[in-house]
Amino acid sequence: MKALVFERKVARYAAAAVAGRVRPGKGAAVGPLALRDVDEPELPSTTGWVRVRPRLAGICGSDLATIDGHSSRYFGPIVSFPFTPGHEVVGDLDDGIRVVLIPILTCAVRGVDPMCAWCLAGQPNRCERIAFGHLEPGLQTGFCETTGGGWSIAFVAHESQLVAVPDELSDEDAVIVEPTACAVHAARSLLPGDIAIIGAGTLGLLTIAALRHLGADHTIVATAKHPQQQRLARDLGADRVVAAGELPRAIRSLTGAMVIGDQLTGGVSSVVDCVGSADSIGQALSVVAPGGEVVLVGMPGPSTALDLTGLWHRETSLRGSYAYTRDDFMRAIDVVRDQQLGRLVSATYPLARYRDAIEHAANAGGRGAVKIAFDLRNEKERNR
Amino acid sequence: MPRPGFVLDVDRSTPPLLFWHGEGFRLEKLPPERTRVIYPPEPLDPMKDPQAAIRRALLNPLGDSKPLPELLFPDMKLTIAFDDVSLPLPPMRRPDVRQRVIEAVLDMAAEAGVDDVHLIAALALHRRMTEAELRHAVGDRVYDAFAPSGRLYNLDAEDTDAMAYLGTTESGEEVEINRRAAESDLLVYVNINLVAMDGGWKSTATGLASYRSLRHHHNVHTLQQSRSLMDHHRSELHSSNWRMGKVITDAGVKIFQIETTLNTDTFPSPFEFLMKREWEWTARDRALFIGSSKSLARTPSRITRQIFQSIKAPHQMTSVQAGEVGPVHEETIRNVHRQQLVEVDGQTDILAMGLPYICPYNVNSIMNPILVMCLGLGYFFNLYRNKPLVREGGVLIMSHPTPWEFHPVHHPSYIDFFEQVLSETTDPLRIEAEFEKGFAEDEWYRHLYRTSYAYHGVHPFYMWYWGAHALQHVGRVIIVGGEPRSVRRLGFMPASTMNDALEMASDVVGRTPTITHLHVPPLLLADVK
Amino acid sequence: MKLPQIPRLSLVSRLPFPFTAARTPIAVDPLPDKRRTGANYDTEWARSFGARMARLGLLEGVLTPAMEVLAVPDRRGLDRLRDLADADPPQPVIFAANHHSHVDTPLLLSSIPEPWRHKTFVAAAADYFFTSRVRSAASALVLNAIPIERTRVSRRPADDAAALIEDGWSLVIFPEGGRSPDGWGQPFRGGAAYLSLRCHVPVVPVHIEGTGRILRKGKNRPSRSATRLTFGEALWPGEGDDSRRLAVRIERAVAALADEVGTDWYSARLRAHRTETPPLSGPDAPSWRRAWALGDRGPKRRRPQERRWPDLG
Repeated sequence: MKALVFERKVARYAAAAVAGRVRPGKGAAVGPLALRDVDEPELPSTTGWVRVRPRLAGICGSDLATIDGHSSRYFGPIVSFPFTPGHEVVGDLDDGIRVVLIPILTCAVRGVDPMCAWCLAGQPNRCERIAFGHLEPGLQTGFCETTGGGWSIAFVAHESQLVAVPDELSDEDAVIVEPTACAVHAARSLLPGDIAIIGAGTLGLLTIAALRHLGADHTIVATAKHPQQQRLARDLGADRVVAAGELPRAIRSLTGAMVIGDQLTGGVSSVVDCVGSADSIGQALSVVAPGGEVVLVGMPGPSTALDLTGLWHRETSLRGSYAYTRDDFMRAIDVVRDQQLGRLVSATYPLARYRDAIEHAANAGGRGAVKIAFDLRNEKERNR
Repeated sequence: MPRPGFVLDVDRSTPPLLFWHGEGFRLEKLPPERTRVIYPPEPLDPMKDPQAAIRRALLNPLGDSKPLPELLFPDMKLTIAFDDVSLPLPPMRRPDVRQRVIEAVLDMAAEAGVDDVHLIAALALHRRMTEAELRHAVGDRVYDAFAPSGRLYNLDAEDTDAMAYLGTTESGEEVEINRRAAESDLLVYVNINLVAMDGGWKSTATGLASYRSLRHHHNVHTLQQSRSLMDHHRSELHSSNWRMGKVITDAGVKIFQIETTLNTDTFPSPFEFLMKREWEWTARDRALFIGSSKSLARTPSRITRQIFQSIKAPHQMTSVQAGEVGPVHEETIRNVHRQQLVEVDGQTDILAMGLPYICPYNVNSIMNPILVMCLGLGYFFNLYRNKPLVREGGVLIMSHPTPWEFHPVHHPSYIDFFEQVLSETTDPLRIEAEFEKGFAEDEWYRHLYRTSYAYHGVHPFYMWYWGAHALQHVGRVIIVGGEPRSVRRLGFMPASTMNDALEMASDVVGRTPTITHLHVPPLLLADVK
Repeated sequence: MKLPQIPRLSLVSRLPFPFTAARTPIAVDPLPDKRRTGANYDTEWARSFGARMARLGLLEGVLTPAMEVLAVPDRRGLDRLRDLADADPPQPVIFAANHHSHVDTPLLLSSIPEPWRHKTFVAAAADYFFTSRVRSAASALVLNAIPIERTRVSRRPADDAAALIEDGWSLVIFPEGGRSPDGWGQPFRGGAAYLSLRCHVPVVPVHIEGTGRILRKGKNRPSRSATRLTFGEALWPGEGDDSRRLAVRIERAVAALADEVGTDWYSARLRAHRTETPPLSGPDAPSWRRAWALGDRGPKRRRPQERRWPDLG
C-alpha cells in the first residue's frame, strides 16, 4: 500500500529544518517524509475498529511545521514513529459509507478504562490519556503509528471517530469539516465584544465563517496579507480586512482608543491569533482590551519570547484553543454546508506529487490558495 | 519690466518641457499642433521699502477704518492673529512678511502703551506650529517677547473654553471663533495672500474657527459649488465665510485686517531656472538641471526631502493693505491678479501638470498620497477663473511619484483615512456621510491635535472634499510615475510614462485630444475665456 | 606633586649688541622718530588685493573659529539688515557698537553678514593700535584698522574714513572712544554721527553683551564666556540732525538694544516709547552701587582653588 511516511531520522529532520527556513515547504524534499510501499495497518484487536480508505486528505499547518522541521519538542512524546500524516480526512468505509474523521485519539479510542475526567465530561480535546492505552502514543490519527493516517491508501479508525457525511456535502466540503470544527470550537469560546482575527489562512477564514454562522453581531476585523485572502475574508463576513501592519490603527479607530507607546489603551475584547508567531502574539496583546483574551487557534511556533508586562498590567489572558468537542464537530458540518466552505479547497494532488503538494500548501496564501489536499480517489491501488 | 504670463502653442521644434515630479523633475515631449503650455508671469518688482510701505498702510487704512494708532489705547486688549505655516510656499526667507507687519503693529502698540497683547497662530484644524516655525514666521524678537509668558500661541480649536459662539448666519451656519480674539478690543489679522483663495473673511472665519463652524463650509456640497476656489465671487466656500464675517461684525468684533501679497519669486539661486522658460535656459542652467536631476535620482528620498524642504523662497512683497476686510481684500485680489492672471482661450480635453514637492499641508513634512490628490485636484485644478481649464469629462494627467508614505506625527489621521476610508470608497459624498463624524470626534486625534503636532482628525476629509469639484468634473485622473498601489487606492490610474498616460486617456477623450500643460509652480491663475 | 617653576626668561634681552639694538646713552637726546606711526600711519596698503585676501583667510580661518570657541556668540537681529543687504549697489553702513573689551572688534568682524563682511574697516585708537610699526601693520592687516584720535575729530583720519566710505567700505566704530572701565557704558562721541551725516550712510547700532567677562579692561588673560550680539534697525541721518543729536540717537538705539537683550523686545519698545530706556551708563551712584547693579553682567568670579590637605605620606 502506498503511504507517505514520516520516520524518525534526525539528520534528515535537521536538513528539513534548514530547507524549510530557506523556502517554506522545501522540507518535503530533503526531510524524513517519504512515499513508501508499506503494509496496511492492522485492525487492533479491540472492538469497533474499521478500515477507512481516504478520498481526500487535507494538508494542515501542523503537518507543514512537522515536515519543515520546526515543530516543538513538545510533540516528541505524543507522537509515535514512523507515522503517516493526515488527520483532515473524508473517506469510504468498506461498506461504501462516506465518513469524515474525528482524529483525536481519546480514552474511548484507546480503550482506556476508566476514562479520564475530560472524556467523561464530553471534552475529549482535553483528554489526558493521549499517550496511553493499547495504541502507540499519538495525539491524533496522523501522528500515531498504530492507526496510520490520511495520506495513504488506507488507515484504521475507531467507530467513535467517524461521522457519516450527509449526501449533499461534496468531498471538498467534507474534508474542510475538521478544520472548521476547530474554528467553531474557538468561536464559541470567545468573550462578547469586538473581535480581531490575525491571519487569513484556512483557520483565520474558517473562524470568520464560524463566527458569522454563530450569529456574532460584533465587528470582526481581520488581517490578511494576500489579495485573495482579503477577498475571501470579506466574503465570509469580516467587517474590515486590513494588512497586518494596519491592524493596530484599525482597532484604535474602531474602538476609539488612545495610544501609549505601542500599546492601545483600549482594544477589542478578543483577538484570535491564527499565526502563532512571537510577532503576532505581541501584536495581539497590544490591541486587546484590558481584561480581554488572546486566543491561539493555530499551533504556535516553538520559540516565542514575549514581554508579558502588559498582560499582567491589563489583566489580559493568553489562551489556547485546541480541536473541538463532538458537538463542535457536528456544528461544523452546518457551517460548511451554509457557507459552502468546500470552495476553500483550492487544489488537490495525487500522493506521488507530494512534494509539489507540500510546497503549494506552504505557500498557499501567496499563490492565491487556501486549503491543499491529497486526492486519493483516483489512486489505482485503491480502486483495485 | 517683468513679462506677463503667456500661452505657448507646442510645435515640432518645441523642446521637451519641465514637469515637476515631487522631489524631482521630468522632461516630457508633448504632441505638437494640439498642445499648449501656460507659463506663469514673471515675478513683479517688489515694493522698494517694505518697512515704510507697511507703516503707510497702517496709517492710511482702506474702507471705513481709522488709522491703526487711533485704534490703540493703553488699557485695551489687543489680539494679533496671523496665518500659519501653510503660507507662503515654499516658506520665505527671513524676515517673513508676517514678522515685518507684526513688528510694525507692535511698535505702534508700544507707542500707545498697550500692555495686554496676545498673538495667535490662526491655524484652525491644521497642525500646531513648532517653536522654530513660529520663530520663522514672527521673528525671534516677537517670539522671545511673547512666547515665554504664554502670550504667543497656536490656536486650539478643540479647547471649548477658549472658543466663543457668536451666533448663526441667515443660512443657519454656526459661527464659533477663538474667544480671546472675539473679546478683544481690537483684532488685528496679519495675512499672506499667496493665492486668490486666501484672505478676506476666510482669515478670521476659517483661521480662528472650530470644527463646529468649519463643517458648514468645509463640506462636499459647498466645495462642489465653489467654481473656483480661487474666485471668491463664484465660490460657495467664500460666500459662506462672508456670511460668517457678517455675524462676526454684528457680534461687535472689531477687526483690523492687514493683507499682503507676494511676488512669484519662488526658487532661490541657483535654481532660478525652474522659473524660466525652457528655451531660455543658459548652459549653466542646463548643467544644473542635469546635475541636480541625476543626483536627486540617486539620493535616498529622505535626504532629497530634506534638501527640498530647506528651500527658502526669495518671495518679496508686492503690496500691503490694511483696514476694513472687504475693501482690503478687493485691493489684495487686484494685486494677486496683477501677478498671477494669465488669459487662456477655451478649455481642453486633457490638463497635464507636474506636482511639486510641497503643498500647504506638508511644510517640513511628507507629501502623502492624499495631499497629492489635494494639490492636483484641489489646488492646481482650481487655478482658474470662469471655466475650468479642462472640459467636463476630460482627463487630468498629473506627474508625481505618490509614494505610500505618511508623516506619522503630522498626519496620523491621514494614515487611517487612507487605510480605512479610501479602501472602502473614494466617493466624497459617501465618505462624508459614513466616516467624517467618527474621525472628527475621535479623542485620540483630538489629543494629538492639541498636544502634538498633528493635523486634526477631520483634516484628511477636507483634503478629499477640496478635490470634490474636480472629481465631479473630470472623467479620469492619471498619475504619471506614481506608485501603482497608492495611486489605485486614490481611485486613479497609474501610468509609467507620459505616452502611456496619453494612451490611457484616449479611450476617454479620443485619439487626438487637445492638451494643456499648466506650467506651475510658480503659480498662475488662468482666466479661461 | 608640583613641578618646579620654570623661571621666565627673555632670550632677546640676553643677546649682545650686534644682535640687538644698542641703548641710547642717557646723556644723549634720542633722534626724533621719523617712522610714521600713530595717527599718521598710512594704511593704504591694507586694502590691496593681497592684503584683502590675507585678511579674508585670517577672518574666516582664524578669527571666526576662535570667536566661536572663546565667545560662543549668539547673534540676533541680523534680519533687520535684510533690506539694506539686498540694496543694489551695496549700501555702505557704519556699525556703531558699545565697547567692553578687545574681543569686541574681532567678535563684531566675525559677525557682520554679507555683503559687508569683507568690505569693512575699523576705526582704531591711534594711541593704542598704532604705537609701533609692527603693531600698526598688524592692526591694519588683521582688522583693516585706520588710526583715529580718541578725543577729537581730527582732519586727516576723518577724511580718510569718509573717503573709504564713499568708496563703498563700511566702518566699524566704537563711539564710546574706549573700553568700559567698570562694565557700564560711557557717553557716545560724535565720530560715527559725523561720518554718517557727512557721507549720508546709515548707522547700524550694535549691542555687544558679555565680552567684558572674556577680557575686560585691565586683564590680559581671556577666559571663555558666552556673548550676545544684537543688531538694530539702521538709523538714517534725519533732517535737522547734527552730529550731537545723531550721536544721542545712536546711543539711545544701542541702549534700547541693551534693554531688549535684558528683557524682551516688546517691553523694550514700551519703555523706549515712554523714554524710559535704562541708560547704558548705568546708575548715577557711587562705584560700589554701580558694580552691584551690574549683577550677572559683572566680571566672572574665579573661585580660588580649594586648599588641599597636605599629603603627609
